Amino acid sequence: MSLAALQSSMEAAVIVAAAPIKTVGLGMAIDGRPILQDITLEIGRGEFAAVLGANGAGKSTLLKVIATLARSTEGTLELFGKTVGRDSAELRRRIGLIAHQSMLYRELTARENLLFFAKLYGIAEPVKRAELLLEVIGLSNRANDPVKSFSRGMVQRVAIARSLLHDPELILADEPFDGLDAPSVAATEQLLRHLHNSGKTILLVNHDISQSLQLASRAVVMRKGRIVIDAAAQSLNASQVLIEVSGA
Amino acid sequence: MTRSIQQISLLVGKDLRIEARSRQTVGLVVVLGVLIVVVLGLGLGAQQGGAGLAATAVLWTAYLFSGVLCFEKTMGVERADAALAGLLMAPVDRSVIFFAKLITNLALMLCVASVVTAAGVLFFSFDLSAAPWRFAGIMSLGMIGFAAVGTLFSAVVSSTRLQGGLLALTVFPLALPLVISSTQALLRIFRDGEDMGAQALAVIIAFDVIFLVASWVLFEWVLEP
Repeated sequence: MSLAALQSSMEAAVIVAAAPIKTVGLGMAIDGRPILQDITLEIGRGEFAAVLGANGAGKSTLLKVIATLARSTEGTLELFGKTVGRDSAELRRRIGLIAHQSMLYRELTARENLLFFAKLYGIAEPVKRAELLLEVIGLSNRANDPVKSFSRGMVQRVAIARSLLHDPELILADEPFDGLDAPSVAATEQLLRHLHNSGKTILLVNHDISQSLQLASRAVVMRKGRIVIDAAAQSLNASQVLIEVSGA
Repeated sequence: MTRSIQQISLLVGKDLRIEARSRQTVGLVVVLGVLIVVVLGLGLGAQQGGAGLAATAVLWTAYLFSGVLCFEKTMGVERADAALAGLLMAPVDRSVIFFAKLITNLALMLCVASVVTAAGVLFFSFDLSAAPWRFAGIMSLGMIGFAAVGTLFSAVVSSTRLQGGLLALTVFPLALPLVISSTQALLRIFRDGEDMGAQALAVIIAFDVIFLVASWVLFEWVLEP
């Protein structure tokens, strides 16, 4: 093996082993008001981390920055070992984003939405992939109905299917349980567990502390844009986190 | 390149399909355009106006207001349910999104303009038969530049909280060179029976080129989820 080939394979190995998320001193300010301050965080491959905090703590902003949808004003962000720059299209291909807003077109049917995004991602067999995911979320029988006719829970299932179309390695979930009824919450929890068990890295932003501590293996607690706790979820209890979240 | 063209056609197809289903834009915009022609026509005494300044100015006024409504609606589709975030998460270049939106806006505007122009021709007894293709050419060229500006600023304005009316305030002054040049060109053709004039045509083409390039470059920086 030539030296160049060896070096190239070593670089590839480093990228494969690199943490899906690594931030160093990440900061963000809007109109001089700090939203994120000195966020240093590393989420390893296959981890399930929950970001907790009160409203305005910076959880969703952090997720937006990691999703490359917002730009930090300080520090660095690495995804899969690559520094995020202006052109992050290839990195985004490895990320699936679930949010409380569906990111779907309500006039289009569930099938049309999934096919549209599958083709946009350049998936090899878009029809097959869309049909498979419709089956997984249990909406094959409603595939030709417009999304606007769906209940909130059904919309969220389609939104999750959309985020999984390109089989991402990293799932970012921003308040995915918002506005869901109990059965839909249970189904979404089960799906997130299943994704974690299948090796996906998950970063969940959630305001429900108890639920997050049960689901995730790691808890990152934020207050006023800073990380105040970063520990194994099992080592924390909800009331302890609540005190930290509220800053009491 | 091929991938970009595929993505543009996919995005335009999606936008037109949504429009065909919802009929939110064209229906509303056609009514607005025709209303402008009728109201201004009545106010200016249209039947006596003939092919003069009033007819071309009124048509441009109708195109401008209709266009702004088109831009707002087509960008609004992306804002609803944060669909734009989904789009930006996909491996799609932002210039692809710009050209797709531009083509959608142009298609809708031309569709609306055909109805509004017909209304203007009838209402103002505006005889287009002297130079129908030159009329269509000048207006289409004007609309390309106007759609480029409108597509760019609709992305800017839609990400602010000051949406109502702000787009018109930003786009109308910018479109002024287009309106003046194309109106002058049309007056020379239809009122004076002369050639359109190289200067007016040069201004329209220069406007199109400058704003197409500028909007394409800037779109990447203004498109925020």
